[in-house]
Amino acid sequence: MGTTASQLDKDLLSEYQELTFLTKQEILLAHKRFSELLSKDERNFENTRVSMERILTLPELKSNPFRERICHVFSTSDQKNGSLTFEDFLDLLSAFSDSATLEIKSHYAFRIFDFDDDGTLDCGDLEKLVNCLTGETDDTRLTTDEMRQLINNILEESDIDKDGTVNLSEFQHVISRSPDFVSSFKIVL
Amino acid sequence: MEPQRQNSGYHGNQQSLRLRQASSPASNQNYPHFNWNSGPTEEDEVDGSETQRDLRALGLPLGLRRAVWQVQQMKIPVVSSSDSWKLKRAKTLRTIRTRGREVLSFLTLWKKTLQKIGGNFGGGVKSYFLFLRFLVVLNFFSFLLIGGFVLIPSIVLTSLDAQLVNNTEFWWQPELEECLEYDPNPQGLVRFYDYLLDLLSGTGFMESSVLFYGYYNVKQGSYNLPLAYLLTAVFYFAFCLICIIVRMGTAARVAVATGGGAVGNYSSIVFTGWDYGCLGDRATKLKQNNIRYQLKVDLEEERLKQQAAALTTTQRLLLYSLRVSMFFLALGFIAAALYGVAVATENSQGRSGDEGILGLIFEYLPSIAITAGNFVVPLLCDQIASVEKYPPTITIILALLRAVVLRLAGLIVLLSTLWSQITCHGHTTSGECQPCHYDHKNYPCWETRIGQEMYKLTLFDLLINLATLVLAEFPRRLLVDHWSNKLTQWVGRQEFVVPANVLGLVYGQTVVWTGALFCPLLPLINTVKFIVLFYCKKLTLFQNCRPAMKTFRSTTSNFFFLLVLVLGLSIATMVMIYSVAEIHPSMACGPFRFFPNIWSIVPNSLYSLSDVTQEFLFFIGSQAFSIPLFTLSCVVMCYIIALASVYGKSVALLRAQLKAVRRWTLQHQLVWFSKITCRLYEFFGGSLVHRRAKTSSFWSNSTRSCDNSFKSQNTAEDPERIIRNRLYYLKHEELEGLHLPSKAGFTKDVVVPDLTPEISVFRKLNIINLPKL
Repeated sequence: MGTTASQLDKDLLSEYQELTFLTKQEILLAHKRFSELLSKDERNFENTRVSMERILTLPELKSNPFRERICHVFSTSDQKNGSLTFEDFLDLLSAFSDSATLEIKSHYAFRIFDFDDDGTLDCGDLEKLVNCLTGETDDTRLTTDEMRQLINNILEESDIDKDGTVNLSEFQHVISRSPDFVSSFKIVL
Repeated sequence: MEPQRQNSGYHGNQQSLRLRQASSPASNQNYPHFNWNSGPTEEDEVDGSETQRDLRALGLPLGLRRAVWQVQQMKIPVVSSSDSWKLKRAKTLRTIRTRGREVLSFLTLWKKTLQKIGGNFGGGVKSYFLFLRFLVVLNFFSFLLIGGFVLIPSIVLTSLDAQLVNNTEFWWQPELEECLEYDPNPQGLVRFYDYLLDLLSGTGFMESSVLFYGYYNVKQGSYNLPLAYLLTAVFYFAFCLICIIVRMGTAARVAVATGGGAVGNYSSIVFTGWDYGCLGDRATKLKQNNIRYQLKVDLEEERLKQQAAALTTTQRLLLYSLRVSMFFLALGFIAAALYGVAVATENSQGRSGDEGILGLIFEYLPSIAITAGNFVVPLLCDQIASVEKYPPTITIILALLRAVVLRLAGLIVLLSTLWSQITCHGHTTSGECQPCHYDHKNYPCWETRIGQEMYKLTLFDLLINLATLVLAEFPRRLLVDHWSNKLTQWVGRQEFVVPANVLGLVYGQTVVWTGALFCPLLPLINTVKFIVLFYCKKLTLFQNCRPAMKTFRSTTSNFFFLLVLVLGLSIATMVMIYSVAEIHPSMACGPFRFFPNIWSIVPNSLYSLSDVTQEFLFFIGSQAFSIPLFTLSCVVMCYIIALASVYGKSVALLRAQLKAVRRWTLQHQLVWFSKITCRLYEFFGGSLVHRRAKTSSFWSNSTRSCDNSFKSQNTAEDPERIIRNRLYYLKHEELEGLHLPSKAGFTKDVVVPDLTPEISVFRKLNIINLPKL
């Protein structure tokens, strides 16, 4: 199961159409862009795994502050090094596609923001998240006071059960109140 | 939905309410569990798209989803022939829908451009271009409508050289001879540049062309052109209204579902603020600057609000009186601008016969006055706004409202000035309007004149946009880029201000709607104008502009733009109704020249229909039909309002219940966990590893009662049974002391829990290391 040579066969194409939110053109375009990342001999192997550094050369991901988290979340490798096969890549594009549902987008958004992979967003996760959003350099970060005020406000608004962390359902509750999320959580090749 | 699937991996079919939230913080694995045992239900079988959607919505990697899919394929239950037919139908519908969506995305205009704009400048600017694209498509289809029913038949009839109809027998009087004098064609020697002037002002050769109302005449033949002309105009308005309302529907649904979106501001900025479509380092840095700016401003505003709440009474009184005076000042500015427009219109009508460039300037005087007003007054209002000290969101809304009122009121003033001149200030039977019921000396063909005014407004709008682009924006950018000193740094590059641009579009569209009855080709001209505008604005965006620091919320603003567009449409409708019903049509030109007003063509044509149809139509128009219809619509509206309020109440109730359930559940869970762990600790002597010790009060309470209740127990009995009894005992006694909120709706009649799930959960939570029971 994987890509053979430089062409996708029709059965595989229709299977991918069934299993993901992508259209036929999007899958073919993804295949083309993924093949460009592979070297000549790698293209002949099935199920090649592309390292994270090469994936991050794609212009759509290159300057995204969450690029490493995205690779880690969609990667199925055992070494947890963020490398992606073609199917992982399709998973990524499917979650970020036009027709993906709010549930799947919020599910993956939660996992991307969960920097320590413990299933909840605690203060450390939120602080790293805000730093990604505002910029990593010293002059673009918020001050400590502002960060504290911000995290307190976030927890006050979204932590319904008052356990000091935001779990998936609380996160989805916030997402469902925002109308812009579905249109902004989109990566199109 | 998702939490239930997570739990089904833990324990078969028991959907215990209290464990619903426990698994999510506990899960060390990253994937939710999929319940292999549950196949698709009967409902899923009939509607195959449900299964497919559920499959794709699983947060599993592709390989696992494929395995699930294969399992589902293997489990094909025996279905009856009608069900299999339904399956096939659902599948064909799905393929048709996907094909249709692919075709539609192929046909969509400017898709790549919009994507690029959104990636580089954000959703607010993109919404402007989406709005512009919507207007282009609307105008194009309107032109097709008008062209098909009015233009083409008229051209065909003219080429067929049909005979002019002249039925004036009913009301002809000899005095009306002078009303027929009208000759738009230029006399004598025509200078070359006169053609250019005529093109710009719609006079001369343009006036007798197909562009204006005056060209269309009543010809003999089976095609009733006047009726077609009027009904096409009516359908054009109805078509535009339906398109706008459909588009508003989606925006309104989102706005209602998210409840205005003001609550949860910080969480939504942080969780949903990032735009993953941002391309390139520059766009990413800009977006990061945007978000940082927004967060800092909101945090600052919160601190200021806390300070402002501490204002004394005198300070507050001063502030409110200042705001009231500023409101009247703004009103005064707007009134002054409108008065300027009225004066300009009056003077323009008097002096437009002048030759050459001066004549052209006088022709365009109303347009110049409106544009100048629209430029100067918002600047003044911005200064006023800085004095008023409203919160930033209110300031933006107020500025938008003022600009909208100014633009649309300017147009209304122009039109009412024109009309009062045409109908001699309302006295249609005296003075200049003596024989013809309108001022036939100055306006021999007044409909064409109004059409010309609207044409000039449209053209002038386009010219001003192009001129601003060439004369103001490009030089500004060149100055800022190549000559850096303090002044240019302070001025900076142009910022693409979305609200002002959108109001410009709404104004242009309202002008077109107002003039469509008198200038049938105006939608086509507008389509071309908007296409040119799209490319010009795109050029200036990418070359000259920097993205705005303050973001513009795209979804709520879309709804607002469409609302303003509907306002413009209603103004145009009122104008059309007034001209159709009240003013006497020109006798010298046009297809309605033999009627007392434009509307009377409809009753006249009705008489030519068969008797039965006439009876039916008269019945619909009579009171016997309209009053019951009105009553019925009131009843339906009351029902829908009641339904909406019920839904709103149930949403609020569910939200409160959600909060209460979570609190209650967690308290309950913690109590149980703490009590059970201390008992199991007693029994098995295992090590306790606390995952979280948040609610220390519960813990200390439980250890105390732990010791108390163990004193009277015989430990030789079956541990599991003892634990079960304990739980049952706990449930009914200890719960009393918990002070649960009564609004939670949960009584103490909870089902006695099975112990196995607790222990499996505890193991997963790493609370205790237990040997297997």
